[in-house]
Amino acid sequence: MNITRRALMRGIGVAGLAAATPGIFAPAIAQAKPVRIGILAPRSGAMGTVGECGIRAVQWAAERMNKDGGIAGRPIELVIEEETSPKDTIERFRRLVLQEKVDCVQGLISTGVSLGVAPTAEEEQALLIMWDGTTQDGVKEAMPKSNYVFRSTDNECEAVMASLLAIKYFKGKIKRIAGINPDYSYGRNNWEAFQQILRRAGVEAEVVAEQWPKVGTMDLTSHVAALKAAKPDFIFSSMLFADLPVFMKQGSAAGLFEGVNIALPAAGWQINQLKKEFMPENVVFGHNTLYFALPTASPLQKAFVDDYMGRYKEAPHWEADRAYFALAAYKAGVEAANKATGRWPKLDEIIAAIPEQKVQSLGGPGQFRKDKIAEQTFYQGLSTNKNTYDFPTLSTVDSFTADQLQKPPGVDFWDWIKTSKLPV
Amino acid sequence: MTVFLDVLLGGVFHAAILFLVAAGLQLVFGVQKIVNLACGSFYALGAYFGITAVGFAAQLGLPSILVLPVLILAGLAIGLVGLPVERVLRTIYNRDESYQLLITFGFLLMFQDVFRFFWGATPRTLDNAYLVYGTAEFLGVQVPTYNLLVIAASIAIALGLGLFLQRTRMGRIIRATAENRNMTEAMGVDSNRIFAAVFTVGCMLGTVGGALVVPASASSLDMAVELVVEAFAVVVIGGLGSMRGALAGALIVGLIRAAAIMVLPEAEILSIYVVVIAVLILRPAGLFGRAVA
Repeated sequence: MNITRRALMRGIGVAGLAAATPGIFAPAIAQAKPVRIGILAPRSGAMGTVGECGIRAVQWAAERMNKDGGIAGRPIELVIEEETSPKDTIERFRRLVLQEKVDCVQGLISTGVSLGVAPTAEEEQALLIMWDGTTQDGVKEAMPKSNYVFRSTDNECEAVMASLLAIKYFKGKIKRIAGINPDYSYGRNNWEAFQQILRRAGVEAEVVAEQWPKVGTMDLTSHVAALKAAKPDFIFSSMLFADLPVFMKQGSAAGLFEGVNIALPAAGWQINQLKKEFMPENVVFGHNTLYFALPTASPLQKAFVDDYMGRYKEAPHWEADRAYFALAAYKAGVEAANKATGRWPKLDEIIAAIPEQKVQSLGGPGQFRKDKIAEQTFYQGLSTNKNTYDFPTLSTVDSFTADQLQKPPGVDFWDWIKTSKLPV
Repeated sequence: MTVFLDVLLGGVFHAAILFLVAAGLQLVFGVQKIVNLACGSFYALGAYFGITAVGFAAQLGLPSILVLPVLILAGLAIGLVGLPVERVLRTIYNRDESYQLLITFGFLLMFQDVFRFFWGATPRTLDNAYLVYGTAEFLGVQVPTYNLLVIAASIAIALGLGLFLQRTRMGRIIRATAENRNMTEAMGVDSNRIFAAVFTVGCMLGTVGGALVVPASASSLDMAVELVVEAFAVVVIGGLGSMRGALAGALIVGLIRAAAIMVLPEAEILSIYVVVIAVLILRPAGLFGRAVA
C-alpha cells in the first residue's frame, strides 16, 4: 500500500487531535443539545435547608442520569434560581421560560408560592413539575384541571398518616390532646384532620390546648408553659421549620414531654437538628416520602444516601426524594413519548405521557395521577435514640402509599376523611 | 399556682432578653438622640457570633459548663463593632432625624447580608448548650436552669448599668451630655468620645442579648427585624430614652405576650399593640418618658 506524505501527515493530525480532545469522539450524548431544566428552590430563610437538600439531590440525579445517557440521549443541564416570595418567584419562572428557554421548570416547596406560579405556567404554556408545592387553597384543589402543571402529593398526607399511627400505637392512651401547629392553613388543616380521624376511630379526646406560633418564632417558652399548664397526654405538632427543634429543646428542658405521647408528622425535614439530648423516644415521627435509614431501601436509595451523607455529613430528607422524583418523572415521560413517536417529542406529547409512567424514586415507587397530582410512598414510625447517629431513627417503620392517604380526584378532603376506608 | 408561675417565668425570660436590647436602644437615644433601628442587627450579630464562640471554645476543650460566660464574653467582644458603626453615624449627627433613621435602617438591611456571607442563610442552633445546666425546681415548677441564669444575668446587667450611670464619674458625664451636650463640651468634655463609648455600650447590650438567647432558640436572618418590632413596643410603652422605661416596658411586653399565649394564642401580637396604642393615646411620652413641649 502506498502512503503519500500528505496522507500520512493528515492521519497524524487527526490522531493527534483525537488524542488531545477525547470528548470529540465521546458518545453522541456529548454532542446532543442539552435538555435544560429550570429549578426553583428556596436557598435562604426558614426553608433554606429544605431547598438546599432538594438542589443537592437534583444535581446528583442529573449527574447520574447523564452518565447513563441523559434524557433520551440528551444531557441534562440545570439552571437554578431561588424560590422566594410569590411575586419574585413568578418573575424568575418567567425568566427561566422566556430567556433561559428551559424545557421544563421543576421545584417549588411553598404552596403559597406555587399557587401563584401555577397560573403563570398555564399562561406561558410551560411545563412545571413541583417538588412539594400544590395548588391547594387550604384543602381545596384550586386547579382541578391543569394542562401544564404537575403537583406534589396533598399537604395533608403526612398528618393523615401520623393520625392513623397515633391510633395504631396509642389508642386507649389518648384522652387529653394538645396541638402546637404553624399558624397558616397547613398547620390548621393538619390539626383539624388529626381530630377528625381520632373521632372516626372512636377516640373521644378532650382538646386541652391549641397553640399557633407564627412560623419562625424562636422563643417558644410561653407556648411550652401554656401546653404544660393544660396537662395533655398527647401532643400533635406539624411544625416543620427551624422552630420545631427549638420547641422540642425548650419543651424537653421544661419537662413538657414527661408521660406525654407525641406525633410530629413533618419532623423529617429537621432530622439533623433534632438531637437525641432533647428528643424523647417513641414519637410518631414523619419522614414523608424518604426515610434515609430504611432497612429495605432500594439500591438507588442506598447509593444516594451513602453519597449524600459522605459528602455533606448529614442525613437527606424527603425534599431530596421529591426533587429526584420530579426529574425522573419528566425523564420517563420524555423517553416514553420518544419511543412512541421515534423523535424528540413535542411538549403536549411529553405532558400526555408523564401520568402513565411508574417511576422508581429515591424513597420508592411513585407516579403522577391523570389529574397531574403525585402518588408516592410515605414512611413514618416510632422513634428510637438507640442508633449511631446524634438524632433519632425509627424503631418501627410503617409505610403507606399516597392513594391510602390522599383524597381521590374531585373529592372534598373533609368528606373523604369522614367516609374513606382508612388503612388503620 | 404552678400555671401562673410557668407563665410568669416564660414571660420574664422573654422580657430579660427584650430588656437588654431595649436598654441599648434607650441609652443611645437618651444620649445621642438617635433612634437606632440597627439594634436588631446587633442582637442577631450577638446570636451568630455566640454560636461561633461556643464552637471555638469547644475546640479549645473548654468544659461545656462555661457556655454562659463564653456567650457573655462573645457578646461583649463583638459589641465592639459599635465603634466603627458610630464613626459612620457621626457624619450625620447634625442632620435631620430622618437621615439618622434611614442610615440605621440601611445598617439593619446591610447586616442581613453580612450574616448571610459569614454564617449562611439557614438558621443555626447551639444543639445542646441549653441543657448543659439541667433543670431546676422553682416553687414546684420545673424550669430550665439556663432560663433562670439568663434572667439573673439580665438583672445583674441592669443593676450594673444603673450603678455605672448613677454612681461613677463617667456615668455622670454621660448623663450631663444627654442633658446638654453644648454645656458639657464647654466644660472640656470630648463629646465624640462619649458618643462612641455610649453607642458601643448600647451595641454591646444588644449583642449580649443575642448571644444569651441563642442556646434556647436559633439564629436566623429574620431575627433582627422581628426583634426591632418588639423592642420598639417596649420603648413606646416605657418611654423613649428612659432606662426604667426599658425595664418596665420589657416586663409588660413579655408578660402580656405570655398571658395572651396562655389565654388566646391568636392574640399574641394584637395584645401587645393594644397596649402600645393605649399608651400612645393616653400617655404619649410613655410610662417613664418625659413629655416634650
